[in-house]
Amino acid sequence: MEIYQLLPKTNCKKCGKSTCMAFAVALLSWEVAVEDCPPLKDVEFKNNYEKLLEMVAPVEGSTETGLIVHEDKCFGCGNCVVACPVNVANDPHGAGIGRAPTNDKLILRVEDGIVRAFNIQECRRFGENRILCNLCIITCPTEAIEFV
Amino acid sequence: MELGKFLTAPEYGFVIVTYRDIFQSAALEKSRFGEEYRKLSAVIKMDSGDIKKLGVVEGDTVVVKNACGKVVVRVEESGYDVPHQGVAYMPNSPWSNSLVSADTGGTGVPKYKMIKVMVSNARGEAITGMM
Amino acid sequence: MVNCLNKNYYVCTGCALLCDDIEVEVSGDHITKIKTVCRKGFSRIGGCIEPMPCTSDGKSVDITTAIKDAASILMNADNPLIFGLGNSTSGAQKQAIELAKRIGAVIDDSSSFCQGPIIEAILHEKIHTCTLDDVRNRADVIVYWGADPSNSHPRHLSMHSYFPRGEERQHGWEDDRTAIAIDVRRSHTAKICGNRFYQIPLHTDAFLIEALIDALSGKVPKVPFEYDIKKILELANVLKKAQFGVIFAGLGVVYSIGDMGTMTRLMDKLNEVSNFHLIPMMGHYNMRGFNQNLFEATGYFNRVKFEKRENGFDVKHGVDYSIMEVLNTKKTDAALIIGSDPMSCLPRSTAEYLSEIPLVSIGPCENFTSRVAKVTIPSALSGVECGGSAVRMDGVKVTFEPMIKTARLSDEEILKRIMEAI
Ligand code: SF4
Ligand code: SF4
Ligand code: SF4
Repeated sequence: MEIYQLLPKTNCKKCGKSTCMAFAVALLSWEVAVEDCPPLKDVEFKNNYEKLLEMVAPVEGSTETGLIVHEDKCFGCGNCVVACPVNVANDPHGAGIGRAPTNDKLILRVEDGIVRAFNIQECRRFGENRILCNLCIITCPTEAIEFV
Repeated sequence: MELGKFLTAPEYGFVIVTYRDIFQSAALEKSRFGEEYRKLSAVIKMDSGDIKKLGVVEGDTVVVKNACGKVVVRVEESGYDVPHQGVAYMPNSPWSNSLVSADTGGTGVPKYKMIKVMVSNARGEAITGMM
Repeated sequence: MVNCLNKNYYVCTGCALLCDDIEVEVSGDHITKIKTVCRKGFSRIGGCIEPMPCTSDGKSVDITTAIKDAASILMNADNPLIFGLGNSTSGAQKQAIELAKRIGAVIDDSSSFCQGPIIEAILHEKIHTCTLDDVRNRADVIVYWGADPSNSHPRHLSMHSYFPRGEERQHGWEDDRTAIAIDVRRSHTAKICGNRFYQIPLHTDAFLIEALIDALSGKVPKVPFEYDIKKILELANVLKKAQFGVIFAGLGVVYSIGDMGTMTRLMDKLNEVSNFHLIPMMGHYNMRGFNQNLFEATGYFNRVKFEKRENGFDVKHGVDYSIMEVLNTKKTDAALIIGSDPMSCLPRSTAEYLSEIPLVSIGPCENFTSRVAKVTIPSALSGVECGGSAVRMDGVKVTFEPMIKTARLSDEEILKRIMEAI
């Protein structure tokens, strides 16, 4: 609970939650934002505040399926791009055979050396018939993809 | 008083294996003289047991030396699941190459992946600069 | 540039995979976006922040003066050395070989202290090899041995060796391919291989090879270190059952076994019981091109000296003409370094000698070597600012066009002009 450690831990309730722990949990599910904690804006918490913003940033940037790309870890190797079954089905002659995408229907593609997510509604973890697909995670050399 | 400063830190023998790291290679393409390349190159990855033995923590500097040269680099935990006491890893760079012997035993190939060194706590000494 | 589906694809020269499906968006002279390129290639194409200056004796000069001064250094030397060229086009390499003949130089490249032994075995057809396209279309058992392509050749697994669907591998990697890593540490590539990772102690590759040969011959394998023999038998069994097997040999195994004799015997054995190929994990994008071009010109793939005679020259070859030996023995009295940084990649005590002799350094970016050079000449970044051709790690020739324009000359043009000035 790194997030909790960075909060004031005074349980002041100014954020509307009963405890700092509850606020931390709410932060993780993006129910609240870092700014919603008033004491954090005091100078004494300046460092913590910035750290928290950094930590929550990728979470806020995530998509409905909760797919997060840790850009700083990504090699741009394309393993996830080629291993994703949806990519293969939607682009059998591009991503499916390991090459550049030939259409815009991919979920994952590499640009400027880093993987990026598009068309996330196509992901097998999403929608009515969702399954717990993890192929893009287990093929990644560096744990750059995560689902929250 | 930091009495320890005046005592010589104990030295331990290691074998260094060099490896490639994509982030270091990417930094190299951008600038060989930059801070990023230095940060990613002047590193030694060790077994957690060895780090304790040296009396340092991750991020501290250590002196790595042998008859060929001496460099001060930053310690990192290797994170490998199998313990590898006595074996340490350094990315291939001018820092690791300072420790490689010119003697190739008549083969013309230096022993890049088998560098015998002594390592000790650098007690805060700064990372060696290259040029 | 391959034109397909109305898209222009470029080639990345970030490593010897020479990925040929790169899309770039350009505005003016700037690249604004690069698609399908890995982190390493992105960084190479982006270029450096310390471009090579044009200097002679520490002073800024125009290119004509720099070329004239470079020529006079090389002309006045008794034992010049030409080194580098792994990051140059084949055209530049051929030009450099001609220059070496003209001035009676030693010519060598970094294969001299890395993949040399494998390339020799392959060029002499002692080892069965294949192309990366064969691997993609047919390979079912893939061995990364002492290699970590995830870091050194990032798209290796996704474009060629493990994840893509291929003609005879339609079901994808989960069902159709087995990836195996043999290494001294759990590298990023080894992680992907999961429980098909065989960790061995430092410098024991030769013992593992012997044990595998025994196992493949139906004998009980043994190794002089603690190891579960069952694992070796299991590995031998997977190799034996391969329909189309390939070993990607990295520096880890090359440095460990020294000469290729043991590996050649393993390959022979594997081809007796199944069907196996070996591809060297060449680093620089055109290192293999240098080896092949020199081989075509002389019959040797590196470590060559053109010894001048009254009319013509003798070709000498051997360890005495390796960059390590000519610098260690201080025989070299001037050097031309092209697209390479020996000051940073050779043992420091060997490289330091370079700062004692007149040096000419050609390349797109400043480096440790150029900082001690007498003459520095900026060249176009090949694959980005100039086109040409190169040889991929598997021996396939790839041609490429520049992505953007530059005023800088290519290595080839510079070498040609040095030649003219001699
Ligand atoms: S979870 Fe499965 S479907 Fe979704 S992006 Fe990853 S590999 Fe593709
Ligand atoms: S997320 Fe992982 S698998 Fe995908 S490109 Fe990045 S490093 Fe490779
Ligand atoms: S794998 Fe090599 S050639 Fe391919 S994009 Fe990356 S650096 Fe470039």
